[in-house]
Amino acid sequence: MSRHDLDPLELSVWSSLVAMIAEEMGSVLTRGALSPNIRERRDASCALFDSGGRMVAQAAHIPVHLGALPEAVRAVRGSTPRAGDVFLLNSPWQGGSHLPDLTMIEAISDGAGGIAGYAVVRAHHADVGGMSPGSMPQGATELVQEGLVLPPVRLERVGVPDPELLALILANVRTPDERRGDLAAQRAACEVGARGWRALLAQHGAARLAEVTDGLLDYAERRARARLTALEGATGTAEDALEGDGVSEQDVPLSVALSVRSGALHLDFTGTSPMVRGNVNCPIQVTRAAALFVLRSLLPEDVPTNEGIARPIHISAPDDCCLAARAPAAVAAGNVEMSQRITDLLFAAFAAAGVDVPAQGQGTMNNITFGGAGWTFYETLGGGQGASAKGPGPDAVHVGMSNTRNTPIESLERAYPLVIERYAVRRGSGGAGRHRGGDGVVRAYRVLEPCTVTLLTERRRRAPRGAAGGGDGACGENLLNGEPLPAKCRRELQPGDVVELRTPGGGGWGVPARA
Amino acid sequence: MHARKVLSTPEDQGVGVVAALEALGSSLGPVTRLVHGTTVVTNLLLERTGARVVLCATAGATDLLELRRQDRASLYDLSVQHPAPLVAAADVIAVDERRGVRGVERALTDAQVELVMRAVLALRPEVVVISFLHAYADDAHERRLAQALREASPDLTVVVATAVLPEIREYERTATAVAEGYARPGVGRYLDRLGERLRRAGFPAPAVMTSGGGMRNAADAAQHAASLALSGPAGGVVGAAAVLRAAGIADALTIDIGGTSADAGLILAGEPLVEPGGSVAGVPIALPRVLVETVSAGGGSIAWVDEGGALRVGPRSAGARPGPVAFGRGGTEPTVTDAQVVLGRIGSGGWSGGVALDREAAHAAVARLAARLGATVERTAAAVVRAADAEMARALRRVSVDRGVDPRDCALVGFGGGGPLHACALADALAMRTVLVPPFAGVLSAVGLAIAPERREAAASLLVRTAALDSHAFRAACDALAARVSGHERRWQVRVRYEGQGHELEVAAAPGDSGREIADRFEQTHRTLYGFTLPRAVECVALRHVASDPGARAAFRRDPLGPPFDARGLVDRGGPAPGDVLRGPLAVTLPDATLWVAEGWTARALAIGGWRLDRDTP
Repeated sequence: MSRHDLDPLELSVWSSLVAMIAEEMGSVLTRGALSPNIRERRDASCALFDSGGRMVAQAAHIPVHLGALPEAVRAVRGSTPRAGDVFLLNSPWQGGSHLPDLTMIEAISDGAGGIAGYAVVRAHHADVGGMSPGSMPQGATELVQEGLVLPPVRLERVGVPDPELLALILANVRTPDERRGDLAAQRAACEVGARGWRALLAQHGAARLAEVTDGLLDYAERRARARLTALEGATGTAEDALEGDGVSEQDVPLSVALSVRSGALHLDFTGTSPMVRGNVNCPIQVTRAAALFVLRSLLPEDVPTNEGIARPIHISAPDDCCLAARAPAAVAAGNVEMSQRITDLLFAAFAAAGVDVPAQGQGTMNNITFGGAGWTFYETLGGGQGASAKGPGPDAVHVGMSNTRNTPIESLERAYPLVIERYAVRRGSGGAGRHRGGDGVVRAYRVLEPCTVTLLTERRRRAPRGAAGGGDGACGENLLNGEPLPAKCRRELQPGDVVELRTPGGGGWGVPARA
Repeated sequence: MHARKVLSTPEDQGVGVVAALEALGSSLGPVTRLVHGTTVVTNLLLERTGARVVLCATAGATDLLELRRQDRASLYDLSVQHPAPLVAAADVIAVDERRGVRGVERALTDAQVELVMRAVLALRPEVVVISFLHAYADDAHERRLAQALREASPDLTVVVATAVLPEIREYERTATAVAEGYARPGVGRYLDRLGERLRRAGFPAPAVMTSGGGMRNAADAAQHAASLALSGPAGGVVGAAAVLRAAGIADALTIDIGGTSADAGLILAGEPLVEPGGSVAGVPIALPRVLVETVSAGGGSIAWVDEGGALRVGPRSAGARPGPVAFGRGGTEPTVTDAQVVLGRIGSGGWSGGVALDREAAHAAVARLAARLGATVERTAAAVVRAADAEMARALRRVSVDRGVDPRDCALVGFGGGGPLHACALADALAMRTVLVPPFAGVLSAVGLAIAPERREAAASLLVRTAALDSHAFRAACDALAARVSGHERRWQVRVRYEGQGHELEVAAAPGDSGREIADRFEQTHRTLYGFTLPRAVECVALRHVASDPGARAAFRRDPLGPPFDARGLVDRGGPAPGDVLRGPLAVTLPDATLWVAEGWTARALAIGGWRLDRDTP
């Protein structure tokens, strides 16, 4: 196949053009969405794919969506899409990550009956049914317990909506009005992407656009390989573990052997636990997203986010591995907690290979879900970032695969029967070191109505590790009325009960200076 | 109209102001009104040279400034820190009080007020800021503590958060109030000194431009320091709006291109778009401001080749010093301006202060870049300009498309030193057919200052479902705000959303409107912007009132034009006559910038001065 290199004089212009479309999608989504999780916390991603299913651009919001969207488009392309079809999916076996992430994909019409490309919007919905309000259950052992499972289904056929399908979906979730609003915002964002991509097509033609896509992906790949080439020959191994799978408290061991050969990153997860009963398993696309994030963080910030960066990553995992989960495994926590642990594991392997990387950050998203009569509220909490050779670790931020914002206390209290008793920096929780690890967060919720709380948290037993002689960060703690709660649990609450989360500190870097 | 540009005097900007007035000298008649734009607040925030502030906050929520919104400073560079808060952790005092959604949960006791006062005074701050949870709905606790502090220590500056921004979302409200406290003493001192200097030189007291594009008299401005933080770029958009109105055009995008950055703005129905939001040096300032999107692309942006082999432009800039290679001030790296020189779009003389251009040096610098890319010098130069254009076009799309405005329905106003050079290409990139280059394009922000209306604002929280809002209640809310500020022309804006949405849309309203009418207007706007409406309750969030007196009437006439020159031959053809028509490609030397009329465009000299350019019908 002959491939025309995109003129280096035009790369940045094109890169800017396609990134702009993805950005506009993100803006329409967050402005139009109803749920705090999408509008305030921005737990969502938007991307644009070409007609061949290659990711051309993604608006950067949430790293865990980074490498996972191509799988979703692949699933849709396997469902004989027609131009103007709008799909919705969440099945981890067909392009999804975990069930609350509803991914909408529009097959963009080229105006002549063909598909010009795909507009993709993935957003974390506050409830998609299942055994627990919020659809982030603790203790689930099969996928169907976690919510409504959607293989790629058509919300619109060639532009004609299917109200019955939408009704079916809304009948299976706890907060149908909010879902309807969020889906409308996703639809509007897809349309913005479709319009932008069609305009490029009209102006430049399909052949030129294909050439441009080749060029942009090749360029991102070159930038990634340039960095890897500088690390040529690096090898390292690392081990870590999750603190239980949500059903049992037993550790779930992870292991990786990393090597950089011929400008490519090889990751072998042999030695990692097989699939577990609980829901910390994750589909391979989430594992890939974590690997991509770690590589991305070693690259300069300005490298465009497209499928080219992923090309030099080669992953092998045993067939029954919990990092390449298959049906009917439960996966809700895999996307949020296993993905964090994989990034910790990969950073540790890079450190073992002699690459200068930060100490471990909090390594968890501290998922907390409240659910009562007619309402569910989900959020994740920041914590300490690991320190690095460059300086101390930032306090109270999301680390690794998440970067959602907090829910303002005043918005939260107006919308739900909850009161935030305390929201503070967890002083002194960062690890000691020449550069101190970042501090975690304290957040205490008092409930005003009977409801349930579900916690999916990590790093409650195994502290975030320091680097280059730096101390470990403090472990996280979960409390109910002052009494310790397990890392993953579900409890019925009565009015007046207070649930408090103290999130982990980041690891320190370097031996602390003597006073 | 007369314009003078003088060097800024960073140690005290007031010195430069008086110098500029003296430079205008006898061409000025008696001065009756003096308006001033200043970056003094921006500088205080950037340089961290504001006042020592103590913050009194609800117990349990004292770390809001450190917690921010919990997202990290950079998605992939894990060591980047957010800028430190303007208040040190040790200077935050927990106040035992709490208001909830349903009313007061913990009352503020006399003993607590006493305790807090002693704690504040022991820290000997210059300013104290009071910000309590849910105070947007009930500010009684904030006001009570403020009064006690004012009585106990009359010299202390006391800032009540809900008086600065009476809106829901504790972080943004507190951060804005803290910025107000941080900047207020410095702004007060600066305006006092300036007023005194002007008085001695025989000039009236100045009015000061705000981020929202209005004017406040000096005394008022000193009490609203945070409202001046983003006034710099606002002036240009206000000036552009005035020129547009004079030219009979309603809707436009604006692009103000300087040496290191470009600012994109939006004008609808002759008025700059004003929105809440924005930040300076990592400090959110959630007050109304003229919408401006800034990108790091300007005339001084440096062109380079990255490790992926791609030509890149910016964000590094050669700035004013050393500046572009062509300026001969020691610059060695090729910039956007150098590329323009190579392409023959910038003539010698007449360029910003009459710098003589070193064409050979510019050519050599671009040639070095071209050699690395394996392309000709001309193609490379064109690509450098295109790359800068792409960044600016992105900013223009953001301000328009994000707000449901189709750029094709707008004119483009290009100003600043580089605006007239890039305007045609930007218009082409966005399929716009009309470009306006205002008179005094290089100093348009000063024009904006001169004609900006005197404008006062008042705002209040208005948390109510539209279904529960009758026209009497709404009239009462409007009247209450109107009583707080004076002015001839009065406008009211309601911020409205679907119950549960986090982002509000601003719709115009008038006293006596019913909730139903407001809801209809909201749904119309929502459909235009997002393409859908929802079967869901609509709620108001806040009410904003602007009272203004008309600014100076601008009477534009033609400014003296330099001789235009042919794009290729640079042949002097003598000055154009009014109504003269020039077809591109062609460069026109303006007094303080260069206008590039691209191929396919026709320029006409306007009676008001400046130029109107139209895309030829293909």
